[in-house]
Amino acid sequence: MAVLEVQGLSKVFGKGELAVHAVREASLSVEAGELAALIGPSGSGKSTLLLCIALIDPPSAGSIAVRGREAWRDGRSALDARRFRRENIGFIFQGHNLIPFLTAQENVALAMQLNGVRSREAARRARELLGYLEVAHRADALPGTLSGGERQRVAIGRALANQPPIIFADEPTAALDTERGLKVMDLLRRVAREKRSAVIAVTHDLRMIEGFDSVYEMNDGRLARKERQ
Amino acid sequence: MDLAVRDIRRHLGKFAATIAGVGMLLAIVLVMNGIYRGNIFDGIWLIENTGADLWVVEYGRGGPFNESSRMPGDAHRSIAAAPGVARASPFISYAAQRDLDGASQQFTIIGYDVFGGLGGPGRLVAGRAIEAAHREAVADARLGLDLGESFRLGAHDYAVVGLTRGAVDPAGNPVIYLSLPDAQEVLYQQDSHALVAARAANLQRLERAGYPPQEAERLLPLLATSTAGVNAVLVRIAPGADAAAVKQHIERWLHFSAYTRAEERDLMLEGRLKKMSAVLGLFRSLLVVVSIVIIALIVYVLTIEKIRPIATLKLIGAPNSVIVRMILEQSLALTLGSFAVAYGLMSLARDRFPRTLILLPEEIAITFAVMLAGGVLASFMAIWHALRAPPSLALGG
Repeated sequence: MAVLEVQGLSKVFGKGELAVHAVREASLSVEAGELAALIGPSGSGKSTLLLCIALIDPPSAGSIAVRGREAWRDGRSALDARRFRRENIGFIFQGHNLIPFLTAQENVALAMQLNGVRSREAARRARELLGYLEVAHRADALPGTLSGGERQRVAIGRALANQPPIIFADEPTAALDTERGLKVMDLLRRVAREKRSAVIAVTHDLRMIEGFDSVYEMNDGRLARKERQ
Repeated sequence: MDLAVRDIRRHLGKFAATIAGVGMLLAIVLVMNGIYRGNIFDGIWLIENTGADLWVVEYGRGGPFNESSRMPGDAHRSIAAAPGVARASPFISYAAQRDLDGASQQFTIIGYDVFGGLGGPGRLVAGRAIEAAHREAVADARLGLDLGESFRLGAHDYAVVGLTRGAVDPAGNPVIYLSLPDAQEVLYQQDSHALVAARAANLQRLERAGYPPQEAERLLPLLATSTAGVNAVLVRIAPGADAAAVKQHIERWLHFSAYTRAEERDLMLEGRLKKMSAVLGLFRSLLVVVSIVIIALIVYVLTIEKIRPIATLKLIGAPNSVIVRMILEQSLALTLGSFAVAYGLMSLARDRFPRTLILLPEEIAITFAVMLAGGVLASFMAIWHALRAPPSLALGG
């Protein structure tokens, strides 16, 4: 069964003649453990599609289901949007977006605590997760003192904190050099395989395309699966 | 996880500097409260501490402190004879600025009948009351004079035989007590040049009126300025006598104005102190408002600086309560910390402050409650902004 099933999702900004169709009837299906790339030129609607799937920006039409459970249909959500995100989606950003006043471990533990894990248990699991991502030695460091690669690993740790079925990564390698970018891609692939999460990454970075299981291309709001050669 | 505490810990220096700044502002609010109450306390201190039931002054005048009053030096004798009067004592109050203890100081000279009259110093903190008719003084400790020290007023030196603490005139200046004749001498004494000039002018006036020079010389002392006048007479009502009746008798038959202690206090509060109190009241209200606005702006700026982390929190699913709690806690920490700094500063400054500061615990509590409520209200603007921030802001969109 697909972890994420999106059918006919559209997003329209404005009304009448001023209406802008940012996403037009997009459909995609991602399996557990799959690493999917979302590519396309700037302004093609990639980020809007992710915002819609994460219920940050409600879709104008279409449906979204996670692990067979309907999250959105025809303009209505069956779930509280933030709870839906807490339980189902992990985010990795281009700018890492760690909370600057929390240590690496606290950044990861916070995501767990928001999901009801008790403080001590969250701290233990966060350290464990950072160990898995090979940054345990920087657990007590503030984000400002971490290197770009370390920050990205901590961000991945936070995304994995609640073992979500879906991970959205927005340009996860854009701020990194090729070597570090490839390491992050390896890590994402490992996460997808070992944690059975579906990873959907928006990327402009064509160096990394090879590493993805599937590639979706967005053009003027239309989404199409790109067949691999 | 307490996000507010984590953020404060991360920016401890900045937060401490902010608290110090706001604390100093709040200290000014507390000091203004103290000055406001101190102004009233000082204003009525002499009235409350002279032990007079009635203040008798020149007819139609508003008392010895709010308006000048001049009465004959023997006025107390006729007042003492009025029915219902147990005791009547002459009283002089005279504001002066002289060099004392090596500095030019403002103070008030109180002259009273040192042999059992009313109006003398109350409780002494050192030494004794004036026992001699001349050249002895009781001074307030704030003047910096020591027991046994001599100081010069006019043509004579006066020895400090006793010290008071907190004896102030309505303007908050310290008081020096002298015997009545000494105070009269200080008040009315002219220097020799002025005396010669006055004598020549009087002589000329008599000669112009047709008196021969010898006769004019003989009449001169009658025209000399009297140095026996007083400013007021303090009255103690006899037990069982009706103060209103005594007052009416003095006004009707002796042609003086008389005020009960309550009336004298009202004269002070409604007259001399009213504007000052209104100005101080206005200033302290404005300062409270300004402090709340500053706290609001600081909390708002602290929140705006964190708007991206707040958007990230929303994106990863943090409920609004987590964000509201973080902002409220920081606002409360700022208010509480600033108030603690303000209280500490005010306690340090209290005894060194040049004016009397009266800090009523209930007023401090009210100010604290107002600031606390203000701090919470102040954070609403920041909370409103934070809750409106879209989670997509975290993605850079």
